[in-house]
Amino acid sequence: MGVSEAVLRVDGVTKRFPGVVANDDVSFDVRPGEIHAVVGENGAGKSTLMKIITGLYPPDKGEIFLRGLPAAFRSPRQAIAAGIGMVHQHFMLVQNFTVAENVILGAEPARRGLIDLREAARQVAELCRRFGLKVDPLARVEDISVGEQQRVEILKVLYRGADLIILDEPTAVLVPQEVSELFEHLLTLKEQGKTVVFISHKLDEVLRVSDRITVLRRGRVVGTVRTGGVTRQRLAEMMVGRPVLFDLRRSANPPGDPVLALEGVTASLGGREVLRDLSLVVRSGEVYGVAGVEGNGQTELAEAIMGLRPVDSGEIRLRGENITNLPTGEVRQRGVAYIPEDRHRRGLALPMTVWENAILGTHRSSEFASRGRLDLRRAFRATEESVLRFDVRLTSILAPVQTLSGGNQQKLILAREFRGQPAFILAAQPTRGLDIGATEFVRQQLLSARDSGAAVLLISADLEEILSVSDRIGVIYNGHIQAEFSQDEADPRTLGAYMTGARTRERKGAAGR
Amino acid sequence: MTPGGKSLKLARRLKGATKYAILDAVSPIVAVLFAMAVASIALVIIGKNPFQVYATMVSFSFGRADSVASIFFKATPLIFSGLAVAVGFRVGLFNIGVEGQYLMGAFLASWAGFAIKGLPGYVHLPLVILAGALGGALWAFVPIWLKVKRGVHEVITTIMLNHTAFLLLHYLIFDVFMDKSQVVVGGAGSPRVRMPPIELSARVPNLHDALAVFGINLPAHAAVNWLLIGGIALAVGVWYLLWRTPFGLELRTVGHNPRAAETAGIRPQVVYFKAFLLSGAVAGLVGLSDLLGYFGYLDIDFPRGYGFAGIAVALVGRNSPFGIILAALLFGFLSRGGLGIQVLERVPMETYVILQGLIILSIVVASEVVRRYVRAQQKKEEAAAHAEP
Ligand SMILES: Nc1ncnc2c1ncn2[C@@H]1O[C@H](COP(=O)(O)OP(=O)(O)OP(=O)(O)O)[C@@H](O)[C@H]1O
Ligand SMILES: [Mg+2]
Repeated sequence: MGVSEAVLRVDGVTKRFPGVVANDDVSFDVRPGEIHAVVGENGAGKSTLMKIITGLYPPDKGEIFLRGLPAAFRSPRQAIAAGIGMVHQHFMLVQNFTVAENVILGAEPARRGLIDLREAARQVAELCRRFGLKVDPLARVEDISVGEQQRVEILKVLYRGADLIILDEPTAVLVPQEVSELFEHLLTLKEQGKTVVFISHKLDEVLRVSDRITVLRRGRVVGTVRTGGVTRQRLAEMMVGRPVLFDLRRSANPPGDPVLALEGVTASLGGREVLRDLSLVVRSGEVYGVAGVEGNGQTELAEAIMGLRPVDSGEIRLRGENITNLPTGEVRQRGVAYIPEDRHRRGLALPMTVWENAILGTHRSSEFASRGRLDLRRAFRATEESVLRFDVRLTSILAPVQTLSGGNQQKLILAREFRGQPAFILAAQPTRGLDIGATEFVRQQLLSARDSGAAVLLISADLEEILSVSDRIGVIYNGHIQAEFSQDEADPRTLGAYMTGARTRERKGAAGR
Repeated sequence: MTPGGKSLKLARRLKGATKYAILDAVSPIVAVLFAMAVASIALVIIGKNPFQVYATMVSFSFGRADSVASIFFKATPLIFSGLAVAVGFRVGLFNIGVEGQYLMGAFLASWAGFAIKGLPGYVHLPLVILAGALGGALWAFVPIWLKVKRGVHEVITTIMLNHTAFLLLHYLIFDVFMDKSQVVVGGAGSPRVRMPPIELSARVPNLHDALAVFGINLPAHAAVNWLLIGGIALAVGVWYLLWRTPFGLELRTVGHNPRAAETAGIRPQVVYFKAFLLSGAVAGLVGLSDLLGYFGYLDIDFPRGYGFAGIAVALVGRNSPFGIILAALLFGFLSRGGLGIQVLERVPMETYVILQGLIILSIVVASEVVRRYVRAQQKKEEAAAHAEP
């Protein structure tokens, strides 16, 4: 038997939540020194399984063995003491502490009862060196990038002596460059004898870096496969249970009149210009993709359009009407749908129910409100329709939205925003955290909205997404659209050059100045 | 993405939710028992037999109809103040200013009650109640205006305005509206520092006649009045507003996540403003049961502290309108029972105050612990119900 060679063995674990079996008789093992990927659709039970392994939830049935010995952790503290550490998708760092302080928090080196900060910084620097993780131990967390914050999370578990490291969707928040760096780190960890388990929806990444892959579907293990012996197509099939088409159906569609037009829009944040003289036009029947490295003004662009951030100069027009600095509610009333990039901060009220979140924004429409009263029956019905249409997996529309899995929360936002035929859709990172099936579905929805005459502004850090969905592509760098391309003339290399600022300021088709 | 094979049965879902609610409601009861156990330790320390003390508390409180009526009378202002605080909490604001708001509400109501004369009761009383609400809302206006326009934290401004309200009330009663018509009998003592008495047309009738219909006869001195029913009706109204209207949905969304509300097209500042004025208006009614149903005039010794008690009531009642009614009754009972054990068991006044505070604290802490425990248990139970076929 291969029992002795497994670091971690999960044996018949079952976990139920009210109305759903999140993990159903799950068994798999992780070998020492391997990078083990766990994949599956949204709500397949991946996060739950990891939380069981690290003692955050008790299993209803089944056992977990660590190096052959039964291990039933009752808290993450016990798990980390036994050498299992987890990096959650949403980081848990103290923003105004330094990197070193965050790393040692809860396990501080002390000298005569006082925290020895110098020793801490030294230890953290030593860890960084050993595992090739580049981050300044004395920098404040609020000042460092998302990729660096993730390294701090990894340092935290390494500092506590973890030799099995679990990462839940570590790449969802990273830009491509950071993803490559993360993977290098994972490979270094592996060389140093650590074992890594990570969850991802991006099959290319999984195939690139893992040794073995375990596939979950609706709480059950479909199988564990060696990475070398499987294709992306096959993996997708295992996850979804049927063949998956990777080709989007897109029809040629002559664009119509301009729907959204920005002209010389400038906005600043704390004295710094975040949007500079930004101009673009999105026509009815077209998808305009904004490509760029995160932090170049994408968030501010979306918020300026939605009236969530004041514009200093320039004009934003919707179907010819000036909507610059209009309140968000009035922008929305003009048929604008908005999928914000940060679902927890801007998209949902987590403790509130699914149905309340599903009607948020349209709750004052005549559909849901009459004579100052909410029509619950209609709200429930509309929610159920949305839930069905976007295949949101949940147990009850009366449950708090925070009980939904991450991807299903995102699907709920999409379902809400796609209701009622919007004339203009502003989609920021719409497929972040979604599984491949849902991702394709959402992209298809964007295209069919376009086909029925809507204008779509797609902001995405995922270049593949931009290239596969957009009719026209604008590259944003430093708060300015540096260049525009039609779909057939865009290629990743050229886009990349503009995205990093290697080439600037040239407008296709507008050569004459 | 196939949506097939999914039957979304509304009935089943509603049933699941009811179960949540019932199990959740059990927790405060367990919490009260826990609190009593903790309080027993204090009683043992001062050499009293806890069982006997509790027994006296219960028998004294529930032994006679007028004693029960007193519990309801004591609970009446607490229902209003609990609701006022809860409306604030629901939108994410901490209204510590209920104290000052109800004093100003009582002042304005008192003024409308004595200065307007010759109106029939069905016009005068609603007018006076409205004046109370207006007084509270006015006193809430400054803090929320400063908050929305200038970002000044409401906790600081409301605390300061509590002091201001009290001092202003002093001035208004003593120097401006002092009732000069009081006759002091035979030089005994001095006239009360109070405003002129409120017209009879603006008094709130007691519940004696209504209860007599049900065969319950209260002695004349019992003070429980129609504002108790008013408070319960208001609780229903607040519940309806919060859970059944678009504004209630906005209010709760802003309370949970103002940025998400803003993104959905709601203007958090506007919602803060309206909700806080509402909280203040409700606060303005807190003193009316005493003013219009008992004293009949506003004096310098008008009861204080209802505003702060309202914070405890809202916490124990978990910001739910019906929970607040129960919590207010519980506090009414504690206060009445406290009087009983002070007199009959010779538990000193200070001990009783400590006891009451301890019970409030335990209930808040214990109900949270119990709530989590119930959640965990409930998950297991649900799991068993979904056992594999
Ligand atoms: N605390 C909870 N209470 C109730 N149900 C829950 C809870 N946590 C998870 N679930 C349910 O369990 C199922 C599995 O959720 P889980 O978060 O493990 O999915 P996941 O595979 O991580 O999905 P995603 O890729 O979308 O993050 C979902 O149906 C989810 O709604
Ligand atoms: Mg997850």
